[in-house]
Amino acid sequence: MKNWKLKEIVVMSVLSVVFAVVYLAFLPVGKVLVGFFGPIGYDFIFGIWFIVSIIAAYIIRKPGAAFLSETIAATVEVLLGNAVGPMLIISGMIQGLGAEAGFALTRYRRYDLWTLMFAGMMAGVFSFAWGYFQSGFAALAGGYVLLMFISRVLSGALIAGVGGKALSDALAKTGVLSSFALGKEKRKKHAA
Amino acid sequence: MYLNEMNPSVKALTILGLVLVLALLFDPITPLLFTVSVIIITFLFGTFRKKHYLLYLLPFTIFAFGMLWTTIAFADVPKNPGDTVNLIGWEVPREDLLVALSLSFRVLAFATLSLLFMFTTNMVEFLLSLMQQLRLPPKLAYGILAGYRFLPMLKTEFGQIQAAHRVRGLGQESRWKRYRRFAVPLLAGAIRKAERTAVAMESKGFTGSRERTFYRNLSIRKKDWLFPAGMSLLLGVILFLSIHFGYFSWYQGQL
Repeated sequence: MKNWKLKEIVVMSVLSVVFAVVYLAFLPVGKVLVGFFGPIGYDFIFGIWFIVSIIAAYIIRKPGAAFLSETIAATVEVLLGNAVGPMLIISGMIQGLGAEAGFALTRYRRYDLWTLMFAGMMAGVFSFAWGYFQSGFAALAGGYVLLMFISRVLSGALIAGVGGKALSDALAKTGVLSSFALGKEKRKKHAA
Repeated sequence: MYLNEMNPSVKALTILGLVLVLALLFDPITPLLFTVSVIIITFLFGTFRKKHYLLYLLPFTIFAFGMLWTTIAFADVPKNPGDTVNLIGWEVPREDLLVALSLSFRVLAFATLSLLFMFTTNMVEFLLSLMQQLRLPPKLAYGILAGYRFLPMLKTEFGQIQAAHRVRGLGQESRWKRYRRFAVPLLAGAIRKAERTAVAMESKGFTGSRERTFYRNLSIRKKDWLFPAGMSLLLGVILFLSIHFGYFSWYQGQL
C-alpha cells in the first residue's frame, strides 16, 4: 500500500462503488436470462462482474489494483443488499484474484488488449472453479457445465476485457486520467 | 440493542465463519432451521426498520425459489429415476428435489446472515473497526470511506446529466444507448471529484500512516464474544439435531 498515492486509492474506491451499483443493476438482467436459458444465463453476461478489476488495473497499473477493486465492489454490494449474501465478498475476492493473476503473469508490464482479455478470462476461470464448488454446478449435466464454463470465459474476455478497455480509453480521452498511468501513457504516445 | 452495539469486526468475522461452515454442508434441514433461527435472532437483538427488512427478504426468497425450479429442471440424470415425488401435479425424482431444496435453503441461510449484518451495522463504524482491530491500512480505509460517500452525490449528478442532455434535445434513443451516453460523463465527474477529495485530505494533514489517533476508539469487549459463541452453539445444536434425525450430509460435489 506504501507505493500507492492517496488519489489512486480514492479513485479506485470510487470506481468500485460505482461498479458495485452497476453489478447490482445487472443481477436482475442475469435473472431474466436465467429464466430463458437456465443457470447458463448468468454466464453470458458474467464478464460484467469482472469489469472493475480490469478497469482499475488498466488505469492505475499497480499490483493489487484488480484484487482490491473487485473486493471493495463486492463488499459494497453486500452492504447495499443483494441476493447472494456475504459469500459474495469471497466470490469477489476470487474473481479479483483471477484477474490479478492475469496481470501478475505479465509481471505488471503489459497492458494491451490481449493482456486485458487474458485477465478477464482468468477471472472467469477462477470464478467458475469457485462457483463449481459453491453453487452446486456439479448437480447439473456435464456437457451443460462445459458450455457454462466456455460462455463465462468468453464473456470475461469480451465484456470485461474489451468492454473495460473501451470504457477506460473513452475516459482517458476526456483528460481526467492525465495524472494516472493510463493517461500518462496516452500523452506519451500522443507526443511521439 | 446488542447486535447494533457489538464490535463490527467480530460480527463480520463470525458471519463469514458461519457462511464457510454452511457452505460445507448439503442437506435441506440444517440451513432451513438455521435460517429461521437467524431471522428470530435478528428481530430479537437488533434495532432496525422491520418493514425494510421484510422488503429486502422478499427478493432473496424469490431468488431461492428460482433456484429451486431451475435446479430441478436442469438436473443431472438421477440415480434412482423410479423414486419420484409428486410436486403439485409434477413428477419429480426425489433425489433432484432434495438437491434443489438444499441449494435453495442454503441461499436463504446466506441471505439472512447478510441481512443481519447489513441491518445492524453502521458503515463508518465497520471501517473504523477494520482499521483498529484488523489493521486495515488507514490509507485504504479512508479512501473507501470517501468513495462510499460519493454514492448519493453520484445520484444527484446522474440527474443533472440527464437534465443537461434533455435540454439539448437528447433522450429519445434506446435504453442501452442512453446508458452509454451517461457512463463516460458520470465516471469522469466521479474521478475528478475523487482526485480533488484526495488532494483535500492530504492538504489537511492526512498521511495514511498507521500511527494515528482516532476520534472514536472501538475495542473488543468481553460481551462481544457472546455473538460468536452463541452462533456457534446454535449451529452446533442444529447440526446435532440433523445428524440425530439422519438428515445431515457433507457437501461432496453432489453428482
